[in-house]
Amino acid sequence: MPLVLPLLLAVVLFCIGVYGVLARRNVITMLMSFELMLNAVNLNLVAFDAWRVDEATGQTLAIFVITLAAAEIGLGLAIVLLLFRGHGHVDADAARDLLEHEEAS
Amino acid sequence: MTTALFSVAGAVAVVAAVVVVVSRRIVHAALWLVLALGAVAGCFGALHAEFVALVQILVYVGAIVVLVLFALMLTKAPTNPLPEITSGRAPFAAAVAAVLALILGAGVVLAFGNEKIKPVTDGSATAVGTQVFKNWVLPFEVLSVLLLAALIGAIALSQRTESAQRKKED
Amino acid sequence: MIATVWRVAGVGFSLLILLFAALLHGATPDQYAFLNSQVGDLTIGFAVRNDDLTVLLLVVVGVIATCVQVYSLGYLHQRAASYHALVTLFTAAMVTVVISDSLFFLLIGWEVMGACSYLLIGHYWERRDARSGAVKAFLMTRFADVGFLFGIFVLGLGAHTFRISELDPARISPGVLTTGTLLLLVGVVGKSAQVPLQTWLPDAMPGPSPVSALIHAATMVAAGVFLIARMYNVFSAAETTLTVLAIIACVTMLFAALCASAAVEVKRVLAWSTVSQLAIMFSALSLGTADGRHAALFHLVTHAAFKGLLFLCAGVLLHQVGSAALVVLRRYTRRGKLRKALQVTFLTMTVGLAALAGVPGFAGFFSKDTVIEAAWEKAHDGSGVGWVVLVSVCLTAALTAFYCLRLWLWTFFRTPALAGGIGAFEDGDAAADLDDPDSSKLRDAPWVMLAPLVLLAVAAIALGYADGVHLNWAIGLISTALVLLGALPAYSLWRRGADPRPILLEREFGVDPAYHGLVVVPVKWLAKLTVAGDRDVIGAYVRAVGRTGMLASQGLRRLQTGNVQTYLTAAVIGVVALAVLAGVIGS
Repeated sequence: MPLVLPLLLAVVLFCIGVYGVLARRNVITMLMSFELMLNAVNLNLVAFDAWRVDEATGQTLAIFVITLAAAEIGLGLAIVLLLFRGHGHVDADAARDLLEHEEAS
Repeated sequence: MTTALFSVAGAVAVVAAVVVVVSRRIVHAALWLVLALGAVAGCFGALHAEFVALVQILVYVGAIVVLVLFALMLTKAPTNPLPEITSGRAPFAAAVAAVLALILGAGVVLAFGNEKIKPVTDGSATAVGTQVFKNWVLPFEVLSVLLLAALIGAIALSQRTESAQRKKED
Repeated sequence: MIATVWRVAGVGFSLLILLFAALLHGATPDQYAFLNSQVGDLTIGFAVRNDDLTVLLLVVVGVIATCVQVYSLGYLHQRAASYHALVTLFTAAMVTVVISDSLFFLLIGWEVMGACSYLLIGHYWERRDARSGAVKAFLMTRFADVGFLFGIFVLGLGAHTFRISELDPARISPGVLTTGTLLLLVGVVGKSAQVPLQTWLPDAMPGPSPVSALIHAATMVAAGVFLIARMYNVFSAAETTLTVLAIIACVTMLFAALCASAAVEVKRVLAWSTVSQLAIMFSALSLGTADGRHAALFHLVTHAAFKGLLFLCAGVLLHQVGSAALVVLRRYTRRGKLRKALQVTFLTMTVGLAALAGVPGFAGFFSKDTVIEAAWEKAHDGSGVGWVVLVSVCLTAALTAFYCLRLWLWTFFRTPALAGGIGAFEDGDAAADLDDPDSSKLRDAPWVMLAPLVLLAVAAIALGYADGVHLNWAIGLISTALVLLGALPAYSLWRRGADPRPILLEREFGVDPAYHGLVVVPVKWLAKLTVAGDRDVIGAYVRAVGRTGMLASQGLRRLQTGNVQTYLTAAVIGVVALAVLAGVIGS
């Protein structure tokens, strides 16, 4: 199996995730896209592990990443809930509390 | 055999991922995410990383997507198609993603275009376990602390404070 | 509380100077250098010395400073306490000048005096004329000090030493000697208010009278005379400088005496007379003989006594009457009110004016005769400078007698002429002389102010005999005749109730307007040009920078949308760009 096959798959998945993160308005969908990106990274890790035939280091790191993803999604969803409680929606486009307001000058 | 298996799983993963990011129904998107993640698990299996594939299904499909669905439920996500799922900069984001894909793809092809993955025997959990508890013990323990911190953080964030409640009543 | 501390410290310091002088008296001349530092092959540092001149000047400074400090207790008891501190600093600076043996140490005292004179002349800072007078004094002496500083450089580098006692005119090349002493002379002329830098001293009169006494008698202006006396071996070796000094002194003494004859304010008359008397000292110094130096120092000491006395008397007039202008004082002369109310002041001022005029028996008479004698001896040797000095001093003696008597008569006596000489001093309102001011509250000053007057009056008589009376009868007779020659016109004019003041003299020869046109106006134009350049050229850049910042920030603010995804997009674009860049560079 050519190495580029999983690598290209990872690239495609990663870029789809990037598009989702940048374009989707719903914050939960953004988080889902994050998962896609993390999966692309995992795919890379596993593919290189298979290519180098070493002592499953890549797989171990993939497991770590999966764990981290679990932690991330937990925190992320908690923040989303907080956002929903405060604003009544989960629209990233409408949550502009960081906006620099025009000064009256 | 593995190549064919990988190709099929990969195609399914790409299609499912695309649907996840373009779907008008958010709940559907979450369900398509299950498919995409499952297909990626299949890819892991084709690469003889069975343990990772199983963990993928267990954690991602079993836990994370369920969590996402719970979040959708808690935020009263509508089940009908949304009129505006993307913001105005979607074309721009698509362009950025396409350029990124082009660059990364070109880089990958240029760097590893001729490399082959040799057929390997079945992967085993033994190797992973050995690695984790031999070489990666400290990161593993740190990771456990991190998980605990994330747990506490999530609880702290999602807890209704009294002042917030009072604000709501006013 | 602080005021009391400063007052005690001021009086104590003055007494300390006297004690110091008493201890040094009779000690063998000595020098002591300290804090020396090597710069190249030159040694720059501090040094003090002790000789007869030091002791003499210390006594003069100590006595005058004590009188001024005590007098100020009564004169300025309601003003800020910084006054006494400044007077003390002023005195200390003069002491520094007197004891120093290093040109740079001397310069420090010299400059501190300049700063103190600025602060003290401007003591009544709420008055416009005091402020401008202070600024004028500061600027003119500072201008002269530039010359002084360069004189120090030239002399010090030429002689390879900055120690005054080691300056040997024989080892300095004549060109360097002349240049250095001429440059020093610029500083001396500025400090002692000689022509052409004389205008600051009369304009310094808005300062408190005790300060005027201190400046005129002991410290500031005397420093110039002291400096030339201290470096007399250097100056007397530079013929050109002495000639220049003689010309300056002769012009100044006549000029100032003429100005004094037309001034209508007691302190202004005294100020011009100081300029004139200092010029007499300089003329004696310019003779270049040991007799000349001795005469100059003798005159310096007697002048310190009677000029300090006169300024303190003028202070009493200001303090008790409220003004020292002749036009105001004359209203109090009816039936001798001023004379009777201020008896001690009248008597002591009479003594002071007699000493200034050179009336036989008073100190000024003896010291002036010494100057004339020294000039006569020099002239007798066939020196042109001697003749010029002799004639000028004689003319000045007559003029001095004229303005002293004029001042005395118009201040204390009512003219017997019709209606008290209406219009002699009033310009517009001729009848102003007729109204009788309320003089029932006119009292003589408190004893703290009168005690210094009495002390100085005694000194103004006794100092004439301190040097041992060796009178040249011919010269004594001539100078007495000159005094009479000057006094008679003054008396006859006063009898007739007239005070003719030629417009040229009243305007003080138009020097001030000329300086205004030549220096002040161009400088103001330059200042305006500088301001315009700063505002419209440099400021334009500054404002442009500010505006650019504002515009840029307004543009950048648009980027701050508050949308997380926008930020993320920018971040991803940045990462991509960096990756491309890395690839380009790597390949």
